[in-house]
Order: sequence, then structure tokens, then C-alpha cells
Amino acid sequence: MSLEQFQDRNVAEQNYFHVDIADYPTTNMGKFKRLLSRTFKGELFVGLWVVFREMVKFDIHTVQYPKEKLPVGPRYRAVHKMQRLFESGTERCIGCGLCEKICISNCIRMETKLDENSRKLVTDYTINLGRCIFCGYCAEVCPELAIVHGARYENASDQRAHFTDFNDMLTPIDSAIAGKQKEFDGFGAVTPHEDERVNITPLAY
Amino acid sequence: MSIKFTIDGQKVEAKKGESILEVARRENIYIPTMCYLAKATPNASCRMCVVEVKGVEGFILSCNTPPTKGAVITTNSDKLHHERQNIMKLYNVNHPLQCGVCDKSGECDLQNKTLELGVAEQDFSTKEQKRKHKKWGVLSYDPYLCIMCEKCTAVCNQVVGSEALYIKPGGYKSEIDNHFSECIQCGECISVCPVGAMASSAFQYSANAWELKKIPSACAHCSSACALEYEVKEIAIASNSNEKEIYRVTNESDHDSLCGAGRFGFDYENRVTCKDEKAFAKSIDAFKSAKSIHFNSMISNEEAYILQKLKQKYGYKLINPEAKAYQDFMKAYTSVSGNRLYEADLQSIKDSDYAITLGCRVSNDNPMIRFALSQAVNNNKAYVSVMHPVEDEGIRNIVSQHIKYEVGSEEGLIALLCENFIDDKYRKDFTDFFDSLDDGYICGESSVGEEEIEKLLRYGRRKKSSVLILGADLYSHPQAQNIAKMAGLLELYSDFSVLIVPSNTNTLGVSLICELDEKSQAPSVGYNAEADFVLSALGDGDIDMPAMNQQEGTLTNIDKELVPLNAALSYNGYELSDIANELGVTCKYLIDFTCKLPNSKGYSAIGFDDLPNYYQNDGKQIRGYKLKNRKLKANAKPKEIADIKEYNGSVIYNCNPISQFNLFTDKAQQIVDKALLIGSKQFSDAAKIKSGESVTFNLNGRKITRKFKLSSKLKGTVALNPDFDLQHSDAAYRYTQVKIERV
Repeated sequence: MSLEQFQDRNVAEQNYFHVDIADYPTTNMGKFKRLLSRTFKGELFVGLWVVFREMVKFDIHTVQYPKEKLPVGPRYRAVHKMQRLFESGTERCIGCGLCEKICISNCIRMETKLDENSRKLVTDYTINLGRCIFCGYCAEVCPELAIVHGARYENASDQRAHFTDFNDMLTPIDSAIAGKQKEFDGFGAVTPHEDERVNITPLAY
Repeated sequence: MSIKFTIDGQKVEAKKGESILEVARRENIYIPTMCYLAKATPNASCRMCVVEVKGVEGFILSCNTPPTKGAVITTNSDKLHHERQNIMKLYNVNHPLQCGVCDKSGECDLQNKTLELGVAEQDFSTKEQKRKHKKWGVLSYDPYLCIMCEKCTAVCNQVVGSEALYIKPGGYKSEIDNHFSECIQCGECISVCPVGAMASSAFQYSANAWELKKIPSACAHCSSACALEYEVKEIAIASNSNEKEIYRVTNESDHDSLCGAGRFGFDYENRVTCKDEKAFAKSIDAFKSAKSIHFNSMISNEEAYILQKLKQKYGYKLINPEAKAYQDFMKAYTSVSGNRLYEADLQSIKDSDYAITLGCRVSNDNPMIRFALSQAVNNNKAYVSVMHPVEDEGIRNIVSQHIKYEVGSEEGLIALLCENFIDDKYRKDFTDFFDSLDDGYICGESSVGEEEIEKLLRYGRRKKSSVLILGADLYSHPQAQNIAKMAGLLELYSDFSVLIVPSNTNTLGVSLICELDEKSQAPSVGYNAEADFVLSALGDGDIDMPAMNQQEGTLTNIDKELVPLNAALSYNGYELSDIANELGVTCKYLIDFTCKLPNSKGYSAIGFDDLPNYYQNDGKQIRGYKLKNRKLKANAKPKEIADIKEYNGSVIYNCNPISQFNLFTDKAQQIVDKALLIGSKQFSDAAKIKSGESVTFNLNGRKITRKFKLSSKLKGTVALNPDFDLQHSDAAYRYTQVKIERV
């Protein structure tokens, strides 16, 4: 199907057709006949045969959760992650507070201060995941791609606090330096055509 | 005389001396500006305010051009829009793209105007210079963010009058610098900075503008009770508490000012976790057995009213020596002038062109008087004469003439003013008094030269509006009564309008609401004052009380206005109204009493929630209401002046450092001045003490130990001794002759 067909909302004039299904029996005799035909047609054994055949072939497609997990798409929005810069391993967050501002369920709070290098330092950062609706606005608004949504969708723990600790969300320093941090392709990420859209700022040097 | 003309087709009228921009602002017509500051004279550096005048070639600067009759002015056209866009592009040249972390983001003029004028691209650039970040105490300066609009230097020179900030010229290299020893740390430059260049050191990077909730209130540190906004946000995440914290104080900086105490002395709240029932029961017992209540004037009108009601019910003696002295002074003033309240206010100082201060340490007692005088000097070329025994180096840019007199001769000085400024035709009722005046004796004893008085008169001759500012040295003077009567005389029969500066935050309110007593009787209860049982907002008394930023109420300020205070922070403990309820003075909230304040003293029956608190477009403050000044019967006459007592040797003057007013400003983190005895070289030589030594002396029966600091800015034999760190107040004369001993 082409895109035009999808976008055409005028259902009546498109290639839709009714499936030819026999009417349901209305008389008792009719219903009795249907019962007999369903019971003795052997459809049950068709299904059982498929199960048995797959079992003896040992070609099993079931995902062995929780030992096995399916990969999730780049736009999947699960528990947040805080990214680091690739080379230095410094935290990307500059403490601008836009995620805090845009959060529609008011679950982000951060504290900042002036550090000894005259830069803005984030001293405390929490996300109340009990309130978070995983809308993705924070990741979208973040100018540094510092806060992103990760793929950790398992929201079960014996402590709520396990989901609000900044250090749990932050990429561990060793994996960041080793280059194992995955770049985020979801909302707010740089699109492939970004270069064409940027105006060049004149520079005198 | 008004000038009629039109702006954008709207017919408007200008008063004499008004610029086009001022008229437009008043009439609600928008003209964008970047460097214009309503309270200072126009810098005319940004050229954003350009307008077109029909028949005139080119653009006209609306900020410093007065309109002509019948002029037809257009504030917006394609040409003007293009011009303004180009100006914004130039302002944006190399401006760091750090809005993400900049404190100003969200309330930045540069951001706003760039977006407003739709500047989407930059055609200009220049080579960036290497510059250095600077920190001057409470103030931090980032030269990269600075757009050189010169608002900070304008406010520092014209409003504060300290001339600390200046421009280090150098084309694109130019930046702001600070003569730090002149800086009084008032933070006015921070408040007017349109970008994040001038920032508060403590606030920097601690919160974004949009996270803070603004709570309009009044400053509680001195009698100006300036309008300010407490900006609050939740307290630190780690503290696991729902309570809020004041992050900073801001104000309507285009029209109004704040001093360092107002801007930085805000974190004095008294946090308590719960209602302490045991202490409450004890306090009720203490009130039931007490005979007198001691309190100071950092108290709201409503609380003062409660104390007065308690006095009526239980016959307590109300003891507040400082307010009592002021009350007596005002009574004596009224007995001659017939005015219940003095006539001048801060606005009349700003509008004056001739001002004399007597017995008032201007920048320390009430910084707003200093600011107003400075504005008068800049706007009206006012002649300011300061009469004081101690020269104030900090206001030398404002003062035209300093008349130094001997300590103790204030009565003689005001008599000299009466002699010289009261016209002969009014003198017939007071012949006894005027005949008794001996100019020679007064000049001799006070060591004020006759040529100084002549100079004063010479400059005062053709002036249109004169103000006489009387300060706290006079209320406690042994001859206060007579001085007040002479002040009344000057109010009535000279061109001066008189301002009698209330010595503490709500001294005027207390003096109007309470009947104060002279002598205390034990046992006593103290409200933020020394007594047998102390109710304290500092958290060190027998029961905790809310501080001024935690309660609603009203203050009566120097402008004779009743101004509202709103609670910036919550308070979990007991308040004075709870105690009053228990004692039979019932109210649900403290502010129920606002409309009950005594009508006979000029208060109106307006409830707290109906008090307005805003600025008009022309900069006029609409805050609370003005007290009614009623004419009363006046028949008293000033007496012959007493012999002038000599003060020899080491003399100490009770005077706080700038920005320190009381224990609450002392509690504030950002106000760092210590309680030091500050004296000149001459003083230290005479007393044989060195800088850094601890000394002790006896002040009105109390032994006081202080560290001595030598100051090159002081002259003479009078040393400044602060009293902000003491909880007691007495009505003794501010100068004391003491014997200084080394510890």
C-alpha cells in the first residue's frame, strides 16, 4: 500500500470488501449440526500436531524472559539515563533546568551551584519515577542530549529510591571512557539533515 | 504649563522637563529601550528608543528629547524596526551563547528584545578579547556577558552616589571596573543589569528565574520599609522537607532602590519544627504575672496594636526607649507646628533642590535618604548640606557642604537655622526666643564658622523646594524637647519641609499606636528585647516567634505610609496573636487588626487584603495608604537654649556599619560586617590603642568589649561604635564620652 492510500481517510471509496462468511445458524437444528461438525472435524488435532511437530524439531522461538530480552527500538521511552561526554567522561548535564521546567508531571528537581571553575555544577538531581509518565519531553528539550530515555523498562524493586538516584542513571565512568555508552536516537536527538538547517555564524577569526 | 502633541495618533500632554519616552511610558505606549533607567538621567547609549517625528529628518532619541508643541511622533515603522534590529545584532556580537546556564535567562532584556525584534541571524562579528571574571564581595562581574549599557555605572554614580563603578574605556575592549573601597555592597548594579554580567555572588547558578515564586513584601530593616520581592523555592532536596527558602530579593529596579541590607539581609527566618506547647504555657504564665513588656521597633503595626490592647486590659508598662524618645520628640514638634506628622517624605527629598541634614548619619541610619539626596543632586542640581560632627567620607560626592559641629551642640545648630531661615515677619510671637539667641556663643561653642552659615544661606537663596532632615542624634539629645519645638517652628515659618527620620523600622508606627512608658517594673516580658521572659524571633529566647519575613502585617514607614508585609516563608510555631488570644485579645489572624488601627492617629479602616501594592507605569508607587496628617492645636513655644555641654577626650558615637541594622541583618549570611569599634588615627593616638586590639569601655552603665579598627576614612576624635549586635536599646544620647582601656 502506498502512503497516499494511508492518508486517504475516505473509506467508502477505497478497495475495502466484505469477507464472505456464512450466516450463523439460528434454528436449534442448525446449531446442533454445527456442534457435530466442530466436534468430529478433527481441527483440534491439527493444532495439537503443530505443537508436537515444533516440540520435536527443537526450533523454539519463545523468548526466555527474564533470561532473554528483546531489543527495544531507539524511540522507546523507559527509565532515564544521564549521558557523559565521549572523550573526557564529564557529565553532559549543564544544569540549565529545562527538563525541570518542561516536565508536565513535575517529577524532576535539580540543584545547582557555582563550582570552583566558575561553571554551573549540578549538586543534586532527582526524578520521581512514581510520578513520571515517560512522555519524553525532558529528553526532547535537553540541549546537550544529557538526559535521555534508556531501555530499562522493568519497573519493579523493593525500594522506590532505587529509581531516583542520579548515580544509577548516570553512565558509569569506566564504560563511558571505554566508549560503550550508546548514543540516543530518540526524541531530541540530532536528525540526519541537521547540517542543512543550521545557519552559519560569522566569525572574525 | 503643558505641551500637547501626539504619539502614534494618540493625543498626549507633557509636563515641563518630561522627555518623549517618559510621556509615552506614562500613557502606556511602548517604545523599546536597552540602556534607559527611569530613576537615573538617560545614558543615551543604546539608541533603541529612536522615534520618527513628522517633518524632522532622521531619527530622534526619545529618552532625552523633550517634545515640542504639536509634534507628530511615530514609534514604529519599517525603518525604525530595521534600525532596532541592527542595534540588537550589534548587542549580540560575540555574546556568549550560554543562556542555558546563565542566571538571567528567562528575565534577560537581551533575550527578550532579540526575540521581540525577530533577530534571526547575525551579520556582524569581531575578534573576541581576553577578559577576566571579577568578584567584588557580594557582586560578581562577567565581562563577556556585559553589553556596556552603562546602567550599573549610572545607578552607582547617580542613585547610590558612591561612584565605585566606572568604565574602563577601550572600544570593544571596554569593561566595567570597581573602586572597591568606595563600594557599599548595595547590589543596585545587580538589580539594574539587563543581562547576567552583574550577578549576585551568592545567588549565582543556584536557581533559574522561572523557578522562583515572587512574594511582594516590604523590607523590615529600616524605616524606609522599601518595596521588595522575596523569591522563594523549595529547600534543598537532601533535607527531605517541604519547606521553602528565600533564594534572593529583587525589586522594581527601574523606579525604586534597595540597599544592601534589603537585598542581601533576607535569610533571618526563625525555623521551628512544631508548636512548643510547654513554652507556650510558660509564656502565658509569664504574661499573667508580668508588669511590663519590653520590645523594640522591629515589630509590625498589628503586633504593636496587640501590645497596646494588652496594656489597656492588664495595665502593663510598655517599654521601648528608642520609640519613646521619638514619640516625645514628635509630641514636642506637634505642640509648635500643629502637624501630627512631619511634612516631607523621600519623594520630596528627590524633588528638592536644597537639603540640610542635621544629626543624621545619612548612609548608615537610612540608606534611602542617601539615595534620595543623591538623586536630588543629579536631577535637580540640589545643594546638600550635611551637619554632623563626624565627616562621612562615603557621601562626599553627594554633599555640597559639610558643616562639622562639636558633639552636643545640636540644639545650638537648629537655633542657628531658626535664626537664619525664619522671616522677620513671623517672629513677633516668639520674640523671647529669638531675642535670647546669641549667634556668637553658639558659633563659638559649636565651632561652626559664621562664613559657613553665610555660604549655606547664599546657596539657599534662590532655591524652590527645601528639605530639612532631622536624625536620630536629636531624639535622645538632653535638649530633645526644645530641638523638636524649633523643628516645628522651621516647619511652620520657613521654606523648609521637615523630615524627622524614624530611628528604627516601625518607630513611627509604634509611636502612633502605643502609649509608651518610661520606667519598667519587674517582672517583665520581652518581645525581641531583654527581659525576664523573652519571646524571640532569633530563636534564642524562652519561646520562638516568627521573624518579619514569616508573618503578615503592616509597617508605618518614613513616607508616613502603611505598607503591607507578606509572609515569604511559613512558620510552624506560636505567634504573638496566639498568646493574645489566650489573654483575651481575640483575633483569628494578626491581620484582622489592620483595619482597627487607631483612626485618631491617621490610620484608615482598610483591611489588609485590600491594601494595594504595585507601581504605575510612570513609576509612582501605589502601596498601602498614606496616613492622614491632621492639624492639631499648637500653642507651645521654644525656650531659650541651654548651655552647650562640652565633650572632650575619647567620644564614641553609636553608629552601625552600612547594611548592618540589627541582629537579623547580622544573622544573614551575605552581610559580613563585624561589630568593630572604628576610629581615626587621631582617635587611636589619643586613646593610645592600635588597630586590631581589643578594648573595653563603659557605655551607659554597660561594659562593652570591642575590637578596634583604624580607618583612614575617618577624621577627628569621634569613633564609631556599632550597636546592631546588642539586644537592648536605650534612649541615651548617641555620643558618649568614655574611658577606653585595653583588654
